[in-house]
This record gives sequence, C-alpha cells and structure tokens, in this order.
Amino acid sequence: MQQHEADRHADIREPVIELRGVSCYYDTFRAVREVSLSVARRQITALIGPSGCGKSTLIRTMNRMNDLVPTYRTEGSILFEGQDLYAGSVDPVAVRRRIGMVFQKPNPFPKTVYENVAFGARINGYTGSMDELVERSLRRAALWDDVKDKLKQSGMALSGGQQQRLCIARTIAVEPDVILMDEPCSALDPRSTLQIEELMAELKRDYTIVIVTHNMQQAARASDTTIFMTMGDDRAGYVVETGPTIEIFTNPRDRLTEDYVSGRFG
Amino acid sequence: MDEQRSPGGTGDDVGAQIASILDEASGAPSAGATGQTARPTLDREEGEIKDNVLRMGSLVEDQILAAIDALVSHDAEKALAVIVADGRINEAQRHVTTLIAKTIATQQPVARDLRFLLSLDHVAYELERIGDHASSVAKQARRLAPEPPLEHFVHLPSMGRLGAQLVHGILRALVDIDEGVARQVAAGDDEIDNLYHRTFEEVLDLMRADPANVERGARILLAAHYLERIGDRVTNIAEDVVYLASGEVEDLNP
Repeated sequence: MQQHEADRHADIREPVIELRGVSCYYDTFRAVREVSLSVARRQITALIGPSGCGKSTLIRTMNRMNDLVPTYRTEGSILFEGQDLYAGSVDPVAVRRRIGMVFQKPNPFPKTVYENVAFGARINGYTGSMDELVERSLRRAALWDDVKDKLKQSGMALSGGQQQRLCIARTIAVEPDVILMDEPCSALDPRSTLQIEELMAELKRDYTIVIVTHNMQQAARASDTTIFMTMGDDRAGYVVETGPTIEIFTNPRDRLTEDYVSGRFG
Repeated sequence: MDEQRSPGGTGDDVGAQIASILDEASGAPSAGATGQTARPTLDREEGEIKDNVLRMGSLVEDQILAAIDALVSHDAEKALAVIVADGRINEAQRHVTTLIAKTIATQQPVARDLRFLLSLDHVAYELERIGDHASSVAKQARRLAPEPPLEHFVHLPSMGRLGAQLVHGILRALVDIDEGVARQVAAGDDEIDNLYHRTFEEVLDLMRADPANVERGARILLAAHYLERIGDRVTNIAEDVVYLASGEVEDLNP
C-alpha cells in the first residue's frame, strides 16, 4: 500500500509525455504555436477549445500520426518517457504501439470481433494465448459481456458504442502506455458516451489517457486535467490555460478560458 | 441595453442598472452593442434571478425597519403586519430556488455562472432567515406594545437601523460584485455586536434593580439577540460576494 502511494507520487512528478515549444506546420501554415505541456501518468488529460484551434493536430503529434501527412512538420521537442519522439532513430510504428489512438468515428476492421482485437498482437508476433488476450482486452474495454457470443461475427455489425469499445479493446490489446482519443464520443448517443467515460475512468488505473473533446461537459465529467487551447489572429492554436479540471470549470484564471467554458463566444 | 428586462413593480430601473453593472463586472460583451452572445437564455435567466434576489433583499430591509417602528411606536397592528408579511419573503425564496434549479438543470452553467447561481441561492437563504429574525423581533414588539417602554428599548432601535443598513450595503456589494465593499459591510457587524453586548449588560442591571422589569427585559434581550443574528447573516452574504468575485471561500467572521 505504501509502495503504491510512493508510486503514485512518482507518477505525478514525472510526466509521460512532455511537449516543449512545439509548433506544428502544414506546409507554410502554422497550425499550432509554441505549446509546452506535460501529460501526467495514469490521469485523463482533456484538450478543449474551439474548432480549428489545433487540438487534433496536437494530439496527433503525440504518436507521430501526422507523419502520414506529406506537408506536415513539427518544431520543438516532444518527449515520451524522457526520449525524443522525433529522433532519427525512433521507429514511428513502435511509437504507435506504445501510444495508441482511438478516433472520432469508430473504425473497426471489416473482420470478426475476435480478429479486430487479435490483429495488432498478431502483427507484433505475440506468442501468448490469443484467446486469453482477446478476452482480457474485451473485458477491459467493458465489451466482453456484449460480444462473448458474437466473437465470430463482423465487428462492423456492432452498434456504434460497441464498435468504439471494440476499437478501444483493439488499442489496449497491444498493451500501450498511452491512449490518445480524438473526439471518441462525437458519433455516439448519450448512453454510449457515458459508457465510454466510465470505461476511461477504469482504464486510467493502467493507462495514461489524452482526450480531445468538443463536449465541455465531457471534459468536466471525465478528465483530471484540462488544457484549454484557442487560436490567435494568425489562426495558429496555442495553449491558454492548463489546470485541474475542477478549477477550469469553477474558477478559471484566464478570461479567455472563462468565456469559452461559459459559452461567451465571439 | 437590455431593454427587454423590466424591473417590474419596484418603481425604478434598478434591475436593468444592476444587470448592466453585472455584465460589465463579468466582462460580458454588451448584447445591446454587438447583438452577439451565444447564451441569451442563460443571461436572461441570470438577470431574472438577480432581480428577484434584490427585490427580496429590499423586502427584508423594509421588514427590519417596520419591526423596529412597531416596537418604538408601541403599535401591535404594525407588528402583526410584519409577522404576516414574512410569508412573502419565504415565498420569494422558494421562487428564487426554483429559478436557480431550473437554470442549473437546463443551462449547465460553469465557472462564474455556476458561482453566481450557487451564491445567489445561498444569499436568498440568508435573506429569508433575516426576514425570520425581523418577524421574531416583531413578535416581541407585539407583546411589548401595551407595556410602558423600558429605557426606550435600550439600543434596539440603533441595532435595527444598523441591521437594515448592512442588508442594503451588502446587496449593493452583491450587485457590483465588489469584494472591498463586502468586507467593509461585514466589518459593520462588530458595531451590532457591541450594541448587543451593551444592551445585554444594561438590561440585566434593570432586571436586577426591579423585578417588574423582568418580563420586558427578557423580551428586549430576545429581540436584541435576533437583531444581533442579522449582522452575522449579512457577514455570510459578504462571504458569498467574496466567493463570487474571487472563487475563494473565506471566513469573514472567524
């Protein structure tokens, strides 16, 4: 118990991901300007802000997903467990194995439920019991009871909320350290949304979670830390304020944050 | 601005004035100037709640003064009117709480809006209790009305006037969300406390001096106690103003 407490303190001291002066460019357009922030271990960090302020761009830099965009480049440094994520020696595929991502629209593969979960582990040459891994992952994603009799059915046949939990199961099957979620509930109904939020609260015991959300109530309900971004006159996004979620939603320090969370836009 | 907001039966445009001051204090863009706010419903509902709380405060202030008036004029009818009118204040508080619950449930307010609604609900609660104290003073005034005055009711008239002044002052601080004024008003509670302690000593002396003074003395002590409580409740409202302005919870009456 004491050791556990000590671990928790160490967790708070050492961020999992750290951004230092990060700017993101698409060709000559600067989408994100000089962002410095830390993502705390085994916590849920929410990124909020108006459309176009660079939230998705920023979260995608955290597992080099933007490498796939030809005109994209990053300035500044992004450290994962103290290592430069963009160093020449780093394999982006290995990065994405440790920092998984769940997208806005559930995107299961057109395969069975079972194969969806087993897919990543197979590619990585997983040698343990695949049945056990699939069951464990589906249980952790709070989906097992829904699909245990449908493992051979197509993942595409599940409901939207189930598909998103399947994608989460697929992500955690490769045992990542961090789960990035880009608007994971925007295509889901309120009940499925709450299920995902409950699931996030469970998952943060083992994983660090970063979530981009347009839904401020979701950030308020589900996250420990909230980062508010907005964009400047040059349309480049930047971080206005970072703080414990409860403070951002009861007593934010910055007027821009206050105006945004209380709906005083424009 | 805010032409649509009518102050109702208060006879002046204090409601609209208050609304504009509040909007300025919270840095809201002027709806009249730009016609742009993404939250007209929340703004309108907050304005309505604020108007209701201020009207309630004004009723409470009148009740304190009326109770003191009934006391010094030995008028049992006036005292009864104060006791009866307390029902209106209770009703006003229920109305405010209903409005606030509706706004919280439907508008999901956060940050300053949330603090504003929580504070005003508590302010309405404290005002209702101050109304009860005024009514309790009136109950003693009613019993004392047929009796000759005991030392001109000692310091009760001063305590009552000061209490009403503090209620007035703290509502002003609430309207302006002025932490400084709130602290100043809260400091006025010390003067009520002083008057209370002096009343206590003097009435005890009168009661010791002549057993015929005991019943009137006891009633005056009870009334003094209710007036003293008004000061404490004004201090509680001052704490709400500080919370509203700063987000910090502070004890102003340690």
